Amino acid sequence: MTLHLIKLAINNIRSRRTRSWLTILGVLIGVTAVVSLLSIGTGVEQAVLQQFKDIGYDIIVITSGGAGRAFAGRAMGGPGLDGPPDGADTALPESNGAFVPGQTGQAATTTSGTSSTGRTFSPGQIGASSSTTAANSSATAAAQASTRAESVVDTAALLKAVPGLVEAGNLGTRVVSVDGPSASGFLRVTTPSLSFLTAFPSILGGFKIASGTTFTNTTENEVVIGARSAGSLGVNVGDALTVDGNEFTVVGILAPSKATSAESSAAANGTRNGTTRAVTSTVGGISGGASLLARGMTNTDDSLFVLQERAVSLWSSQAANSFTIVRMATGVKVAEVMTNISAELAAQGVKATPVSVQQIAASIQGTLGMIETVLASIAAVALIVGGVGLMNTMYTSVLERTREIGILKAVGARDGQVMALFLVDSGLMGLIGGVLGLVLGGVLSFFGTRLLGPALGVGSFQPVFGATLIVGVLVASFVIGALSGAWPAWRASRLNPVEALAAE
Amino acid sequence: MITFHDVYKTYLMGETRVEALQGVTVELPERRLAVIMGPSGSGKSTLLHLAGCLDTPTRGRVHYNGTDLGALSSRGRADFRAQSVGFVFQKFNLIPNLTALRNVEIPLLLQNKPASEARKRALDALTAVELGDRMHHRPSKLSGGEQQRVAIARSLINDPKLILADEPTGNLDTQTGQRILLLLKSLVEKGKTVVVVTHNPEIAASADTLVLLRDGKVESFSTSHGKEGRV
Repeated sequence: MTLHLIKLAINNIRSRRTRSWLTILGVLIGVTAVVSLLSIGTGVEQAVLQQFKDIGYDIIVITSGGAGRAFAGRAMGGPGLDGPPDGADTALPESNGAFVPGQTGQAATTTSGTSSTGRTFSPGQIGASSSTTAANSSATAAAQASTRAESVVDTAALLKAVPGLVEAGNLGTRVVSVDGPSASGFLRVTTPSLSFLTAFPSILGGFKIASGTTFTNTTENEVVIGARSAGSLGVNVGDALTVDGNEFTVVGILAPSKATSAESSAAANGTRNGTTRAVTSTVGGISGGASLLARGMTNTDDSLFVLQERAVSLWSSQAANSFTIVRMATGVKVAEVMTNISAELAAQGVKATPVSVQQIAASIQGTLGMIETVLASIAAVALIVGGVGLMNTMYTSVLERTREIGILKAVGARDGQVMALFLVDSGLMGLIGGVLGLVLGGVLSFFGTRLLGPALGVGSFQPVFGATLIVGVLVASFVIGALSGAWPAWRASRLNPVEALAAE
Repeated sequence: MITFHDVYKTYLMGETRVEALQGVTVELPERRLAVIMGPSGSGKSTLLHLAGCLDTPTRGRVHYNGTDLGALSSRGRADFRAQSVGFVFQKFNLIPNLTALRNVEIPLLLQNKPASEARKRALDALTAVELGDRMHHRPSKLSGGEQQRVAIARSLINDPKLILADEPTGNLDTQTGQRILLLLKSLVEKGKTVVVVTHNPEIAASADTLVLLRDGKVESFSTSHGKEGRV
């Protein structure tokens, strides 16, 4: 009988084609919203967590307190892309127009300026707080003056003092004035310690040298330069660069990072939005590490690299913008290690807080989960609206088909059969809406991830269509359809055959 | 045999009480053509609905071969309609979006008969009413007479012993009406009990049993054998 009911229901849907499709459209929109939001949301979550996994859950990030801690969170690609940085960056002078808007993800060059090279290099990292070369020196001075000098963590002592740590390294960042052969301006300089480069090259996108070498010693003024910055500044291996008034030699140029195309695309489109900020900044006290790790620090194209050992000796405020990454041995108790690290930091007189990748990942996962729930709830409202539309259609259908119901009853249909007929009818429309919504949601998700990946700073990622999502959506759409038709179906089943037959 | 014993049926039309039947007592014999006549509003159709379990009496009892139809549950009444009775209506009452064949096979499908069996029997029934070549047409593509024959085929599909026809020729021209009458009479010859509500004197002339209703009461009852009914 079920098959016959389905046939009858299909027949009915086909005979009221326009209205049926409009009703199905309502369900389709709701399901599309649910599917696309959930699959993208899960995809983002998995992509972010994968980045943490790549970095390793055995990592602890030690960020310096106060301004330094916040700065650490924007260490790589944060300031220029997300808005004005704190500290040094906000102290920069107003723009004179040398900054080229829209090129926030890459070095921008102008033909005007006051530098010795005749061109002003105004990197995107500085964002809205673009500056003039005329004010370079004073800006740098102001920037340095505004940051507090704090000690750099002695990683060797830390490894010695805290059992369960196997590797440690420091990483810092600052904004410097740079004079190159082709351009000059402000640029972010990243200052990894030698031990950091050895232990955690993946955090710097592998730190793959395309030409030249990596740092050869800690006493010479050597600089390794990102691929895009090298092009903008017009330098090659062996060339000289002036960084904050100090002469440096370019010893190596990095290979372009994987994030280049994605990030530049996002920057060009102006779509670098606040979502990542929302993810990384809503985790409160661990925002620094979260931002650092979530973004993967894979875009090395716009940075200069100077060894921290050298940077600290050249720039007194360098310590303020540094943080430390340590790796734990397998099987150690994280809480215990964290306590010991805190004790050692206190002993070293360093004001810093250790945060484990596990904590950051859990916090981000929680935040993403919450966002996902909110989005799914909003999408569910659309689905419910579709259900109400379906109920309206079914109610109207019962009114229109009153005579038909009377006929069915006259030829022996039981109340339950009449009810089942209408339930299958509405359930089928819900299911059709669900299937089509699933397909459309899938298509939208694939396009959505192409756009959102770069915008969220997680590179390219795939939407996730778990079996639970697919089966759940199909079952839910049928159930919503059937439930929406339940009351009209019940009404239909209770109709008196004589009255139903008398209906016009 | 259908027996009505002191049957009352009251409807509420808005705030108005309509006494459709007022103490009807009558017996309709088996395997005969029974005709119920009377002016509009006399309760003819109501009597037919009670006989076919489409409705229940407000008071009194309706028996069919010893079964008290008023005592049946909703499901019991549905089963009775499915298995023991076939309806033919003045307005044909075919489902408009189904073909003639599907209209005819529906009663079998509602009884969970296999689709192949339902299809075969529906085809046989349509052939019996000379509509085998029109089986894939929807009602809107059929003439009134053809639609009524489809309705008759549907009423016969379950091989019920009782056929109830409410003004079966009311929407048909004279010639088609006569054809339908012949069809109904042939059913009686095949052993069916046929009860027809009509204004058509030609059908009345063919009746084995004639019941005349007026104002919800039996005004007269006669059989071709001269037996008088109770009023």
